[in-house]
Amino acid sequence: MSLENFASSRALSLGVELELQLVSTHDYDLVSSAEDLLRVMASKDVPGEVKPEMTCSMIEVSTGICNDYASVAAELEALRAALTDAARKLNIGICGGGTHAFQDWSERRIFDKPRFHYLSDLYGYLAKQFTVFGQHVHIGCPGPDAALYLLHGMSRYIPHLIALSASSPYVQGKDTGFQSARLNSVFAFPLSGRAPFVETWQDFEAYFRKMSDTGVVQSMKDFYWDIRPKPEYGTIEVRVMDTPLTVGRAAAIAAYIQSIARYLMIERPIRLAEDDYLVYTFNRFQACRFGFAGTYVHPETHEHCTIAEEIEASFARIEQHAIELGCDGALGELLRQVREGRNDAAWLRERHTGGESLPELVMNQCARWMGGEAM
Amino acid sequence: MDLLIWPDWPLALGALFPVAIALVLTALVGEAGGRFGLPRVSGYALAGLVLGPLVLGWFDINDLAGHRLVIDFTIALVLFELGIRLDVRWLAANRWVVATSTGEIALTFALTFGALWAAGTGAGVALAVAAIAVGTSPVILMHVTNELRASGQTTDRLLALCALNVAVSVILLKLLVGALHGVHSGWQLALLHPLYLLLGSALAGAVIAAAYLGLRRLVDPATEQGLVAMIALLLAAIALLSALRLPTALAPLFAGALIKWRDRRPHLWPQQFGSFGGVLVIVAFMLAGAAVTAGELFAGAGIGLLAILARAAGKLGGAMAFGPPSGLDLRKSLALGVGLMPLSVLALLQAVDVRLLYPEFGSRLMPIVIAMTVVLGLLGPIATRRALIRVRETRRGETS
Repeated sequence: MSLENFASSRALSLGVELELQLVSTHDYDLVSSAEDLLRVMASKDVPGEVKPEMTCSMIEVSTGICNDYASVAAELEALRAALTDAARKLNIGICGGGTHAFQDWSERRIFDKPRFHYLSDLYGYLAKQFTVFGQHVHIGCPGPDAALYLLHGMSRYIPHLIALSASSPYVQGKDTGFQSARLNSVFAFPLSGRAPFVETWQDFEAYFRKMSDTGVVQSMKDFYWDIRPKPEYGTIEVRVMDTPLTVGRAAAIAAYIQSIARYLMIERPIRLAEDDYLVYTFNRFQACRFGFAGTYVHPETHEHCTIAEEIEASFARIEQHAIELGCDGALGELLRQVREGRNDAAWLRERHTGGESLPELVMNQCARWMGGEAM
Repeated sequence: MDLLIWPDWPLALGALFPVAIALVLTALVGEAGGRFGLPRVSGYALAGLVLGPLVLGWFDINDLAGHRLVIDFTIALVLFELGIRLDVRWLAANRWVVATSTGEIALTFALTFGALWAAGTGAGVALAVAAIAVGTSPVILMHVTNELRASGQTTDRLLALCALNVAVSVILLKLLVGALHGVHSGWQLALLHPLYLLLGSALAGAVIAAAYLGLRRLVDPATEQGLVAMIALLLAAIALLSALRLPTALAPLFAGALIKWRDRRPHLWPQQFGSFGGVLVIVAFMLAGAAVTAGELFAGAGIGLLAILARAAGKLGGAMAFGPPSGLDLRKSLALGVGLMPLSVLALLQAVDVRLLYPEFGSRLMPIVIAMTVVLGLLGPIATRRALIRVRETRRGETS
């Protein structure tokens, strides 16, 4: 099977996908209501799409193709309002967060769709364990080679994005010690991790052909990389973020990615090298485990600093681009929170260690997401 | 030599021993059913019938009267939990759920009354059976949904409709029977009695809810002290309700719904509460069989089956008609109607209470209700279980 051609798309256009949790308002455990919610949503006029996901307790919402932060924020807000309305009718809660705090993976059901059943047969219990919730952001690229440059350049910012979006400290009712435990579930998949270091689309096609010849993959969907090219959309897709607790934060993180992309495309500040990836998994782990307090090792200079310091430095680098894109306000708010060490994982931990039970915590997550609270 | 220190022969075991054996047998029959994929409550109901006058005769109606408090307490506990699952905010946000409930209640009542009246039971008995037929067994529904850890749109509606059915059935029966026997002679009484039943139960429910929320501040419901406080609260409530001549079923149900409305936090039943409730349910079914005699069962069989069919048509019709606009698809609407089938201990007690007050009328009503509860107590749980598995709302057992 060969790779499709890289479609043309408007450079720096944006698309955001959010995987969301559906919970019962009685015990705040996950509930199999995706089918019912999708049926109610089918009659509503909303931007983008609402789709099923691997198990029946999750859905995926996506914006259409947007140009800037304002339109992403507006579309996500419209989706939130419509979903909240439908959820109230069905007596279910919808919330963000990368994992559900206390669900038992063995109780999950696979959504009744051929592809999901195929994946379930292939991956066994991993499919049910994959009831985790991420934010994916697509960035339009002017061409396939530019997409690969953007992909490798963006890889340096993976720790930043993990720390900013981390919202999964609890798994199966226990504190994992991680700020983002979700990515540990993703790592269990054989084709996860990072894309191979190739700089031209021609080389990427050759790589894909070789993988395809082994019979291991059939399409780009079979790769669960942190960032992967999406040739049919003409985008790269950044996939490391946990779903934030509010749509406001999700929109701000998308704006941050767009600003970094503009900085990388226009200034071309990095000379890519395979050795950049020497520190990749270390940095990624530090971000998952410690969030802003984790250690960041610079891929070229090998200097050490905290991830918070590196995020702050990145804001300085991309500030002009954020202003050009009209999202400096949202990024300013993100930066303020980085300086205060605040992210969603911290919000969740504060409440639970303060004596709030996990079901109550999930209830408050629903109140934040459905109430359309600020990030 | 003092003979009092040696046991008598044959051993004088007292009344406790057969009760213990019966309890074990009931639990074992439930467990055996569970092995074959049947709901445990069906097994308990079967064991109750076998232990009662129908087969072995270990228990009779006097045992039922003597242990009435245990059954009342069990039902109060179950209804309190069911009330907590009834979210009034949801009923306000989705009026079609209320319409579904109203539709299936009206249809069930009308069809059951019509069928029995046409069959010549007389209007009084037809009305009383129709009022009882409106109900759905809360004990069975809660047990089956807990056993399967069911959760979802059908389950939520099943429990909400069950709560509303119980409330309407209890009130309707009291009013109709009262009216039939001239209790409400004169318009003042005809107006005051229903008002007293409703407002009294609501007020008592509010007191229970306030006490529960107050207790929750003092003790954690998950601890032993919390469990004891909860049991004491419900026992006091039953004593008070009985003294006030108010139905013991309504106030705990109102209390639960009020608690959910006042305090949105999840009110989850602690583990030991579930075990304690489980034991009570076994006892309740073991004793309920004591009300069933072979003579009455056969006397009521024909009309009972007719009432079952009419009731099934009403519940299914209401659920199928109003389910889809409330957000269900046709498959789940059908499952909702099927899931509402169980009728058991509470219905039996309703008839027993009528017979206590009006022996002649009650003895005409009783055989029909016995036949209904025998069939729907055994087969109803199986229907509910199958319906929930069919719509994939179970989180335990048959998941895929």
